[in-house]
Amino acid sequence: MRRVHIDFEQRELDNGLQVILAPDSTVPVVAVNLWYRVGSRNEVPGRTGFAHLFEHMMFQGSAHVPKNRHFELVERAGGSMNATTWFDRTNYFETVPSHQLDLALWLESDRMGWMVEAMTQEKLENQQSVVTEEKKQRYDNQPYGDWDERLQALLFPEDHPYHHTVIGSMEDIAAATLEDVSDFFQTFYVPNNCVLTVAGDIDPDHAFGRVRHYFGEIPRGDDIPPIPGQVNLPEVLGSTVRETVSTDVPLPRVYLAGRIPPYSDDRFYAAQVASVVLGRGRASRFYRGLVRGDRVAKDVGNFAFPLTAGASMFLARATGLPHVTPEDLERAMVREMEGLAEVTQAELDRARALLETQTLAALEEVADRADLLSMFAGLFDDPGRINRELERLQGVTREDLVRFAETFLGSDNRAVLTYIPEAE
Amino acid sequence: MSSVARDQVPEPGALRTFRLPPTVSDRLDTGLSLKVTSMPRLPLVSVLLVLDAGETTAPAGREGVAVLTGEALRGGTTLRDAEALAEALEGLGAHLGVGTGWDSTTLGLTCHADRLPEALALLAEVALSPAFDAGEVEQARDRRLATLQQRRMSPAGLADDVFAHAVFADSSPYARPLGGLAGGVAGLDAEGVRSWWAQRFSPATATLIGVGDVDPAEFTGLTREAFGAWADNGGGRTDPAPATRRADEPRVVIVDRPGAVQSELRMGGTGVPRSFEPTLPLKVFNGVLGGVFTSRLNLNLREKNGFTYGVRSRFGQRRGAGPFSIAAAVGADVTADAAREAHEELRRLMDGGPTADEVASVREFMAGVFPLQMETASRIASKLSEQVIYDLPDDYYATYRDRIRQVDLAAAWEAGREAVPLDHLVTLVVGDAESLAPRMVGLGLGAVEVIAEDEVPPFYG
Repeated sequence: MRRVHIDFEQRELDNGLQVILAPDSTVPVVAVNLWYRVGSRNEVPGRTGFAHLFEHMMFQGSAHVPKNRHFELVERAGGSMNATTWFDRTNYFETVPSHQLDLALWLESDRMGWMVEAMTQEKLENQQSVVTEEKKQRYDNQPYGDWDERLQALLFPEDHPYHHTVIGSMEDIAAATLEDVSDFFQTFYVPNNCVLTVAGDIDPDHAFGRVRHYFGEIPRGDDIPPIPGQVNLPEVLGSTVRETVSTDVPLPRVYLAGRIPPYSDDRFYAAQVASVVLGRGRASRFYRGLVRGDRVAKDVGNFAFPLTAGASMFLARATGLPHVTPEDLERAMVREMEGLAEVTQAELDRARALLETQTLAALEEVADRADLLSMFAGLFDDPGRINRELERLQGVTREDLVRFAETFLGSDNRAVLTYIPEAE
Repeated sequence: MSSVARDQVPEPGALRTFRLPPTVSDRLDTGLSLKVTSMPRLPLVSVLLVLDAGETTAPAGREGVAVLTGEALRGGTTLRDAEALAEALEGLGAHLGVGTGWDSTTLGLTCHADRLPEALALLAEVALSPAFDAGEVEQARDRRLATLQQRRMSPAGLADDVFAHAVFADSSPYARPLGGLAGGVAGLDAEGVRSWWAQRFSPATATLIGVGDVDPAEFTGLTREAFGAWADNGGGRTDPAPATRRADEPRVVIVDRPGAVQSELRMGGTGVPRSFEPTLPLKVFNGVLGGVFTSRLNLNLREKNGFTYGVRSRFGQRRGAGPFSIAAAVGADVTADAAREAHEELRRLMDGGPTADEVASVREFMAGVFPLQMETASRIASKLSEQVIYDLPDDYYATYRDRIRQVDLAAAWEAGREAVPLDHLVTLVVGDAESLAPRMVGLGLGAVEVIAEDEVPPFYG
């Protein structure tokens, strides 16, 4: 099978900003991606959800860019933009026609250097309201919408950074002040806490010159404070913990989750392959066993979360058909997860083929290439992983999977969250 | 001191030209049309089989048969059962994607270019030689029924479905959910699926699209091998669905969800068919209203008032006149305010028209992001399928950016005035009726009707 190689260069400004340049002139567009190493893991008690609220504030204008101008300018330039907040990072990105590279760099540098001056109480209250509606729309007003909050609390102790969700609590969001915004900005939104990737229709030397032009005068910040709380914890939970919720849901659903090694650990490759063998596609163990064989589930899924602070999370989910008891559903899920210890070579080959297509498809869009380069640089200081990841995934052996199943998918490392439709 | 003129928006550099990779069309003797776009940057190919087999062709009493057939096609072929089929496809690194709409069924996959011959052969096997085993169809039907049950309990899904029912008359299929109603779906079986499939799956009304690292001549050859024996069943192209509105008077419908923390709001009515001209000025008009982030609706409801995480307006793309709708999830206590503001923004835009600046901004946005919408093989395949389904001219995409840049204020405003049913607006809210109803009465959006949540089942069957 033919392989693909993404060319890139890695440089750094004096203020600590890491810059990655990945030229590819197939389409005359350029993606600018800023990956700040800050997310919900960096939040302190009483301020959960703040990293995400802060991300919203980054779109409320900066010293030289009035409110709404950022959106207007990028849209008018024919570009798209957004930002996302997750556990370990917050990323901001624009994709614009390549002759508008300066616009994207100017906008991003203005908010990296001069955001606080433009903040007002009115803007803060507006976005507190928007984020509150976001939480209601995506979590509170959705069946099973609080699953992540419940599972994270079961898996990670109170003083661990993954104990609370990215969206946080409404009370904490409401309690945020302008001073919090300013402190957070000065602590985390500094060039030495950021990776900037420019990918697409560029000449690397010219693009680096433009980056230095716009970002070079932003001063380096202090060293980044350590992640609050206790990051290190036992590799496995030590027992099975349970929570059952009887609520307004259409069908029963069971989540099984366990701690797994972090993304930075080589064993995480096995976790990724395991999630494909178990839960991806119609020939996966969960689909064959639960949806087809037993006819107990309507839909199933398995996920390995790519988290880095001490541990990560493996998650299996099955939604039951109306007549099915949660006990039957759970029993079937456990059978398939523990059955991974008898994984066949054919199953492994299927996973390898699916991962190959997935890895290639993830390189199709310039914005995705930029984000991957930023991610590998931001998490591991190793953007070259973009070109090695597939080989590592395909190098996972049967023995690796068996060891993973035995170590991490047993009853001594299991959080069980069950949703039962409330009797009418 | 800084050498950067931070107060000034940077001047753009020289515009670089974007050329869409060309699409080659071909046709087999059986009538099967081909469209191939070579894009050899990555060793990937996306394949999409487009069939004139949408839900509008479901016979009375068999609504939902197109969606169920799509699911049942995964249940195995005359050569291999469901599990062997899944293993064969996924062993090639491909997931079979099945899309059912009002006007089409699409079967597609993306795989490594080196595996295209095997993947095309499997796709043909799925489409042309399904087993439709009774037990498999029954399983698929049970999963569909569970999906319908789930949808009823998602506030957004419930809002979309009841809105459609309030907008369209019973004579239009658009009045019901795409996948049918539980009562009807429960009565579907393997025989019904097979007979509908036999009528609707035919090469003369089908197109096979290939995009990616593939040569057009090679693709034609592979297609002839895989699909060459597919015989025309003589059935012709289907007609667009009728789309009569249910009522002329504006009205407000509230589906009661006592204690809901948020309300799902929909406002709109019957829109226009995809063939509506001028179509691009209408897209620009909708962009100004609620189609982009800096639209009037979003700047008002989100950025000024904080009522919602986001609001959008859209014209549903269908061969018949699909719905025009404004959609948002809004805070429970500000629902009436949000409805009032949405209505006022709509009325103001209809009466006063967009500004030249707004039109220029949306038009530049649409022209500029077009290359980003054509960046991946699967996205291009999907765009080409729209060309097939809606009979768009061959040069539609090649000339798209030039044509969108020619849209002016007058054309956009005129298109919007023609397409938006301002005098027949339906406002639909899924939320807490007790607190909402009194406040909705005073908005002048029409008579207010409250439906208890458990009274919706007759509509769902």
